[in-house]
Amino acid sequence: MQLEIKDLTFAYNKKDNIVENFNLEVQKGEIVALVGASGSGKSTVLRLTAGLEIPDAGEIVIAGQTVADDHKFKAAEKREVGMVFQDYALFPHLSVEKNIAFGIDHLSKDKRKARVTELLKLVNMEGFEKRYPHQLSGGQQQRIALARTLAPGPELLLLDEPFSNLDAELKDKIRKEVNEIIKKIGITTILVSHDREDAEFMQAREILMN
Amino acid sequence: MQLLKKLKKSSPGWFLLTAGIIILLLIPNLNIIINLFGEAGENWEHVKKYLLINYFQNSLILVLATGLLAAFLGAGLAWLIAAYDFPGRNFLSWGLILPLAIPPYIGAYVYQGMFSYTGLLQTSLRNNFQLNLSQSYFDFMNLKGAIFIYTIFLFPYVFLMTKAFLAKQSASLLESSRLLGKNDSTIFFKIILPLSRGAVVAGSSLVMMEVLNDYGVVKYFGISTFTTAIFKSWFGMGDLPTSVRLAVMAMLVIFVVLFIEKLLRGGRKYSYSSSNIRPLSRRKLEGKRKIMVQLLTYGVFFFGFLLPTIQLLYWSFLSRGGELVETLSFAITSFVTGGGAAVLILIGAVIVATTARMSSNFMSNLLARITILGYSIPGAVIAVGILLFMLQLDQVFSFLQTSFGIETNIILSSTLAMLIFAYAVRFMGIAFNSVNSGYEKIGESYFEASRTLGKGVTETFFKIDLPMLKPALMSGFLLVFIEIMKELPLTMILRPFNFDTLATKAFEYASDEMIYRAADLSLVLIFFSAAAIYLITHHRKRRKK
Repeated sequence: MQLEIKDLTFAYNKKDNIVENFNLEVQKGEIVALVGASGSGKSTVLRLTAGLEIPDAGEIVIAGQTVADDHKFKAAEKREVGMVFQDYALFPHLSVEKNIAFGIDHLSKDKRKARVTELLKLVNMEGFEKRYPHQLSGGQQQRIALARTLAPGPELLLLDEPFSNLDAELKDKIRKEVNEIIKKIGITTILVSHDREDAEFMQAREILMN
Repeated sequence: MQLLKKLKKSSPGWFLLTAGIIILLLIPNLNIIINLFGEAGENWEHVKKYLLINYFQNSLILVLATGLLAAFLGAGLAWLIAAYDFPGRNFLSWGLILPLAIPPYIGAYVYQGMFSYTGLLQTSLRNNFQLNLSQSYFDFMNLKGAIFIYTIFLFPYVFLMTKAFLAKQSASLLESSRLLGKNDSTIFFKIILPLSRGAVVAGSSLVMMEVLNDYGVVKYFGISTFTTAIFKSWFGMGDLPTSVRLAVMAMLVIFVVLFIEKLLRGGRKYSYSSSNIRPLSRRKLEGKRKIMVQLLTYGVFFFGFLLPTIQLLYWSFLSRGGELVETLSFAITSFVTGGGAAVLILIGAVIVATTARMSSNFMSNLLARITILGYSIPGAVIAVGILLFMLQLDQVFSFLQTSFGIETNIILSSTLAMLIFAYAVRFMGIAFNSVNSGYEKIGESYFEASRTLGKGVTETFFKIDLPMLKPALMSGFLLVFIEIMKELPLTMILRPFNFDTLATKAFEYASDEMIYRAADLSLVLIFFSAAAIYLITHHRKRRKK
């Protein structure tokens, strides 16, 4: 089991719980899509899994390690969970190369460089090392964001509305590409979307949230 | 779990640093309130019986009249700049901020000089037109004169805030009003003014706080307000308890102002459901209306910046540059003190703002309130609070020395450290606001992305937040720097012996009627401030492109 969520409960304010007694089990290598309208709490589940929010109750276990329960909370930077943000959040003051290397600066210079080259090849963006995020198109930014997230080799990949910023024509192409990349490296993936089509394209197990 | 939830998000190191800064900011203000219950000074009875009413009256008249006039002038000009196109508009959109570069006390002696018996106006009337008018026509040194001075040099606060607000408004508002058959002046009074009420009131309350803070103008004109009274009781009579009581009274006036602000702003907040709005489009002016608008806008620029600057240049020319070495040495003192203090204040503000960002809404609101508190309290009041605190500290040090033989040899009162501390209490809010709006613009996702990539709070701060905050830090630094350069009451009370800035020396020379010397120093001061204003406004414009 790569991810286990038990009785997860969370509220932004004291009045109403946005996530209540939520349960989920994800096998290694599986792709799961949380689908639902806005306000259904699907993005919140993602943020809780990443460690960006602290649950009110419940338990989260990633790759056999408990990262959150009643007594314990492992901070986001220690979870080995990768997340691609809806707006990509590529650091505007860093080049493509430095963006990708951001999470692997513990490696030696040579290894780091090799890893960056490897990832750029994976996402089909060789030769873009020295560019800056604002010089890239939306689809290119998306691919770099994916490469940056995959660089440290996370246990779990989280995609928050990954295709919502792309126009219709580009969407099909990118969905296919992302699907291929994920399949190729076999990483366990959770995807959040308001569009059921995304889930179908990614051949994911759909979980409806409301 | 709830407690854990609150604490876990921020890191303890940041939290402790912030707590330390906040306590330091609060001490001087709390000190005044605690000392209120001490014994009254020997002069208090006299002040209470004969003078207090006068202080209240003068302070309130100045504050309210200036607040109102500046609101109309600032909002009106902002509207003209936002809604119309005419030759000179681009320049005036930042040129009308320039009056802020001239501290009101400098403006006051310049205008007084121009209106005086030997001034430009009266001499030319006498020599060219043989007109010998009664001196009462030219009496400038009264409440009305002070209100004029404050309005013409402080209205840019309202102008700036209203202009920024209007820039975010949708064009469809105006267009639909026009299609419904309303003319432009109806639109201004019925739509624009009510809509931008929040911004106008916020700007106007800043103006009112500046008026209450001011020492130079009222001192020069001989008008008694709380600030001058605090000076008199402390410098003239050495009666600290009476200063404390006056400081509390001044704080009461501030609470009245803040209450009025709250009342006028109302609970309403207007916002747009869609983020995709078309900004106001400007209408090109022709004919008579073009000339009228130009006359008005250039007229304000003329009286608020150009005329006083030309007069100063003329005086400075008459003195042939004066004592250049002396001017230079004051300029260096001002520059180093202002720059150094601004850097320290900015560091403090970044620490508090970063913690505020990681905290709950309640906590970050509280932090914002406390840091901004100092800006709403007059400098003379803060000075009294800090004097009390430093005297207490010095007593502790000397107690340590005499009782335990610990050699401390530290004396804090009347040192540069004390003055910089005072600047921090008063101006931390300005720096905090800049950093905070910088953070708001950046948003959370870069911070979060860095966290999920394995970086802790502090590493993320240095690698991501700090580089991205650079523009906000730059404008925060410049804003604080200008304020410190122009600052008068705090510096006058707390400065070390023989320590002079451009501001204090210019004011001293002006008070001694050595206006040529005052002119040299004032010009240097205005040059620095105007350059900073230019950098801030043009930096922002560049970023928008």
